[in-house]
Amino acid sequence: MQALQIEHISKSFNHFKAVDDVSFSLDEGKMFALLGPNGAGKTTTMRMIMNIIVPDAGSIRIFGEPFRESHKNLLGYLPEERGLYPKMKVLDHLQFLGEMKGLSGAEAKKLAREWLERFDLAERAQKKVMELSKGLQQKVQFIGTMLHSPRLLIVDEPFSGLDPVNTKFMKDVLLEMKKEGKTIILSTHMMEQAEKLCDEICLINKGKAVLQGNLDEIKQAYSQNSVTVEYRGNAAAVQNLPLVESLNDYGNYMEIRLRDGARPGELFRLLAESELEIQRFEAAKTSLNEIFIQAVKD
Amino acid sequence: MRKTLKLIKREFISKVFSKGFVISTVLGPIIIMGFYYIPAYFRSHDEARPQVIQIVDYSGVVGERLPDLFDDKLENGQPRFVLSPVAVAAYENDPETFHQSIEDGIGDVLLILPEDILEHGTATYMATSVTQFDLIRLVRQRIGAAVNQLRLQNAGLDPQQVRQLTMPVGLKTVKISSGEAEEKGFESEWPVTIVFLTILYMTILIYGAAVMRGVLEEKTSRILEILLSSGNAFQLMLGKLFGVGSVGLVQYVAWAVIAYGSFFLVNQSSPEMIKYVDFSPGTFFYFVLFFLLGYFQFSALYAAVGAMCSNQEDAQALSSPITFLIIIPFLITVSLDANSSLAQILSLLPFFAPMLMFMRVQLSNPAGWEIALSVGINVLAILLFTWLAAKIYRVGTLMYGKRPSLREVARWLKYQ
Repeated sequence: MQALQIEHISKSFNHFKAVDDVSFSLDEGKMFALLGPNGAGKTTTMRMIMNIIVPDAGSIRIFGEPFRESHKNLLGYLPEERGLYPKMKVLDHLQFLGEMKGLSGAEAKKLAREWLERFDLAERAQKKVMELSKGLQQKVQFIGTMLHSPRLLIVDEPFSGLDPVNTKFMKDVLLEMKKEGKTIILSTHMMEQAEKLCDEICLINKGKAVLQGNLDEIKQAYSQNSVTVEYRGNAAAVQNLPLVESLNDYGNYMEIRLRDGARPGELFRLLAESELEIQRFEAAKTSLNEIFIQAVKD
Repeated sequence: MRKTLKLIKREFISKVFSKGFVISTVLGPIIIMGFYYIPAYFRSHDEARPQVIQIVDYSGVVGERLPDLFDDKLENGQPRFVLSPVAVAAYENDPETFHQSIEDGIGDVLLILPEDILEHGTATYMATSVTQFDLIRLVRQRIGAAVNQLRLQNAGLDPQQVRQLTMPVGLKTVKISSGEAEEKGFESEWPVTIVFLTILYMTILIYGAAVMRGVLEEKTSRILEILLSSGNAFQLMLGKLFGVGSVGLVQYVAWAVIAYGSFFLVNQSSPEMIKYVDFSPGTFFYFVLFFLLGYFQFSALYAAVGAMCSNQEDAQALSSPITFLIIIPFLITVSLDANSSLAQILSLLPFFAPMLMFMRVQLSNPAGWEIALSVGINVLAILLFTWLAAKIYRVGTLMYGKRPSLREVARWLKYQ
């Protein structure tokens, strides 16, 4: 079943097209990444899915139906800018968030206790939110998003502002949700995270979807002629080799895309003969980062 | 609906169990009791015991006429005034003793009538307090009356005739209410009404501003977007308005309980004070009704301002026109004659009605249809303001940064 079906949605603010004719759909149980640089329209897209913002054009179907207010109980949303009532007690707050998702008071309280227990926060249940460290507040926030066991979870930049411990925590929680069969949409500009986690992606740039589909297939399509090289020395000459289509040089590391028909082995021979000191040569799948830059350039 | 109730509940609990609420709920009545009972206490006690007026009469003729004029009785039948003539020589000899006796409370007032009082002289009133306006007015009148009688008599008129001709006219204030004459009227109702109006004005202002602050806090703490993922902007706004409003109502009820309780206690201990205090259930009903009408129209506007802004300074600046829409009607209300046609018209209009119509109900007994019309117009205004505010809320709650211009806000109203 399709968890989400977005067709040709657009949204403008004061003549600025934040989202321009974006379409994608998503099967239940998949993890989906909405990728793109800052200001690409990711957050606007997510807000439209949540019906916080109404699209100017296009349609959104959730679990096969046009949006109804009651759908919000099936959705979990973690916006990029997160917040809690600082003066509320942790348990009361979670109960409130659960009740706002249609749970009964008792149910919400019970679930909140379970989650707090699970994340070693049980003894903080009666503390005020503002008495908790930033990291713990983040955890409480995640619990609040997932308390009602949403079928579709939408998280906007889930890793932004997290320390390494919480980043791992967040990732583990997301994977666990996925195992439970939840559908997850996350937005990020950190390609490595998306690459490791997601099944499907949609790349957005300047409001337009530039590339979308199954991550493996996309990588396949982009990877045939790509090579990564770790090196020492001056690599300026590599750019001008006839078999190099394009190149992204990081100084000690470069990602090279070869022309159609050129083989990686040939490049290796050329590089080996040059003055560069090659430390590692890998005919690899292109990184998502590379794909993204490529796609935006096209 | 369920979610709106949850929002109301959260708002209500977070406010009612706050220190600020507890303090204002307890302190409020103490201040109000002060307003009510301290003046009433003094007024009733001034009368409860006879006033001793010592009179030094240089003229030798005015003083002897005064006992006839100061013939008021207290409620318990005792004379209200005890006049004690002081020999001029004794006073001349040692004025300090007499001044001291006033200070010591042996006498209340020392009255000095100069020799030339019949021509153009000025009498002197000495007391420890010269702010007992009622008493001073009374003394001035009575001395004036005595002097006038003497002047007329000296001009050759018969004392009996003079007394009849210069008989003062009594004036009793009676308020006509639902066909019954109620012998209280202005004197007791105006101070009470002023107190109620002040509370009305303060609570509308305080609770309106609390709504604005609440919306702003939700914006700056970034909880709003989380809430929007569970409910829509309209639910959130209603939750805020009703949540804060119900806190206000609870405070009113608490105040009313304290007020009636103290009223009852005072009634037990000194019933004579009660005639200066009016706490009828009708008054309370209209008080709550007009609080609700006022609160909802202003708080919807305050909510809109809170939604438009992202920081306290902007909100302060943008809300000042609304604050003026509370202050100006309040000032007009307290300075306007309740029976004037201006008051009649203004008491129908939004912003003015809550305070002005309340005053008219208290003091001038407007027709039933006038009250109904005023309530109707104001309910419509509330619906309009709420609708406008919801539109602004929906867009504004996601806007951060620069304060929007009015043109931008006007554009928000057209968004879906």
